[in-house]
Amino acid sequence: MKMLAPLLHSYWYLFRGAGMTLLMAGAAVLPATALGVVLALVHVFGRPMARAVLQVYLFVVRGIPLLVLLTFVYYLLPLTGIDLPPFWGVVLVMSLYYAAFMSEVFRAGIESLPQAQWDAARSLGMTRHLMLRIVIFPQALRLAAPPFVSQCVSLVKATSLVSIVGLWELTMASREVVERTLAPFQIFIGAALIYFCICYTLALYGRYLERRSLVGH
Amino acid sequence: MDDTLSDAPSLVTDPPVIGAPQAAPRPMLTMTGVVKSFGANQVLRGVSLSVAAGEVVVVIGPSGSGKTTLLRCVNLLEDYQQGTVTVDGAPIGYRIDPRSGQRQRMSERDIAASRETIGIVFQSYNLFPHMTVLQNIVAAPVRVKGVPRAKAEARARELLALVGLSDKAGEYPVRLSGGQQQRVAIARALAMDPKLMMFDEVTSALDPELVGEVLAAMQQLARDGMTMIVVTHEMSFARDVADRIVFMEGGVIVEEGKPEQMFAAPRTERVRQFLKRYNDRYRI
Repeated sequence: MKMLAPLLHSYWYLFRGAGMTLLMAGAAVLPATALGVVLALVHVFGRPMARAVLQVYLFVVRGIPLLVLLTFVYYLLPLTGIDLPPFWGVVLVMSLYYAAFMSEVFRAGIESLPQAQWDAARSLGMTRHLMLRIVIFPQALRLAAPPFVSQCVSLVKATSLVSIVGLWELTMASREVVERTLAPFQIFIGAALIYFCICYTLALYGRYLERRSLVGH
Repeated sequence: MDDTLSDAPSLVTDPPVIGAPQAAPRPMLTMTGVVKSFGANQVLRGVSLSVAAGEVVVVIGPSGSGKTTLLRCVNLLEDYQQGTVTVDGAPIGYRIDPRSGQRQRMSERDIAASRETIGIVFQSYNLFPHMTVLQNIVAAPVRVKGVPRAKAEARARELLALVGLSDKAGEYPVRLSGGQQQRVAIARALAMDPKLMMFDEVTSALDPELVGEVLAAMQQLARDGMTMIVVTHEMSFARDVADRIVFMEGGVIVEEGKPEQMFAAPRTERVRQFLKRYNDRYRI
C-alpha cells in the first residue's frame, strides 16, 4: 500500500489531466468527424479536380507523423500572425489530421453499399440529397461505426503527444507528478489505467455499435 | 400460388373501367432510336419500342441481349447516348431544345421527378435492409411525394394485404423469404402510383417454389390494367399474361408479336431456336 502512496496522493490531479484529455479529444472529434464526412462526399461525388486535391491532402496527412505536424504548427502559427491559443491550435491540427482518416472510414462505408441500394433509391424518385439522408447514410454510418470508434480511440491516445508542445493533459500531468514524487512506475501505471479505461469504454461502445449495425443485415 | 392474390381487389389506384368505350390506346412508353454503350461495347443499337397504356409487354432474349439495359434506360438508371424516351408524353432524361434541335440533359431534380411515374422491380429485390417492410413502402411516398404519413401507411398496409403480406409490416427484409421480399418490392414500387411498371427478371433469383407467388402478384397487376414491361425467362408467364412479346438479341429487337403467334409460328429462325430450347427444357 505504501508503494502506491504517490499515486493515491495525486490521483485527483491525474483525473483533472484526464478531464483535459477528454475535453481536447472531444473538441477534436467533432470537427474531424464533420470534415471527414464532407471529404468522403467529395471523394465519392466530387469533380475530378476536387478529388485530386483531396488525394494530395490525404497523402500528405497520412505521410507525416502527428507529432511533426503539431510541432510544425506550434512554431509556424505565431509566424503567420495567427494568434490562436495553444489548446485550439492543437485541436485544429488534430481535427485536420484525423479528418483525413475518418474520411477514409466514411468513404469505405459509403462505397461498400451495393449499387443496388443506389438504384432502388433513385428508381423511387429520390433526389441525391434525400437518397443520402435516408438510404445511404444510415447504412454507411452503421458500417463505418466500428472503424470510426477505432479512430476515436486512436485520437484519445494521440492527445498524449500534445504535452510535447507544452499543453497540459493527462501525460503532462503524470510527468509533473513524477517530478514531484519520483515514483514514475506507480504514476505512469495510474495514467495508463486511466487511458485504458477511456479507450476500453470507447471500444465497448464500438462493439455495441457493431452489434446494432447487424440489425436488418 | 397464394390464394389471397388471385381474389384480391385492384393493386392499381385507378384501374381502367372494364367495358368502358375504348378509345385508341395512348402510348404510355415511347422509345425511339435509343443507343446505349458501355465504352466501346454498344449494348442497345437504336432500339425503338412503344407500349400502350394498359399493355403488358414481355421482353425475352438470351443473356447479354440488352433487356435489362433497356429497362434501366427507361428510368435513366443508365444514361443513353442517343434517342428519346417518353413516358405518358413526358421526356425522360433528355429533352430536345426547340431552337437548336439538340438533346439537352434534364436537371437531376427533373429526372428524379420523372422517375416517380415509373416503377421498377429488380431481380435482387433491393429492399432497404435498415428499414422495416412498412418503412420500405412508405419512405418514398412520404419523402418524395409528400403524402401524409398516416395516408401512406394506410395505403402501404392495403398493398401489403394485396400481396398477401399483411402480417409482415414490422419485419426487417432479412427475416423474409426471397418471394416475400420480392412481393414487398412490388408493393413498394406500387406505393408511388406509377404509370408504368417494369420487372427485371424478378423471379430469376427465387427458389422455384417461391416463383408462383411473385408471378401471381404480377398477373393480378396485369389484370388491373397496369402498363407493364416484363423482362423474364418465365415463358409460361409470357404466354399467359403478355399482350405482346418482344425478342431482343445483340441490342436490337429481332422480332415482336402476339404471344400466340410468337410461340406457335415465330417469323425468324433465331426466335424459333430460342423458344425451341425453352420448349425442350421446360415443355411449355
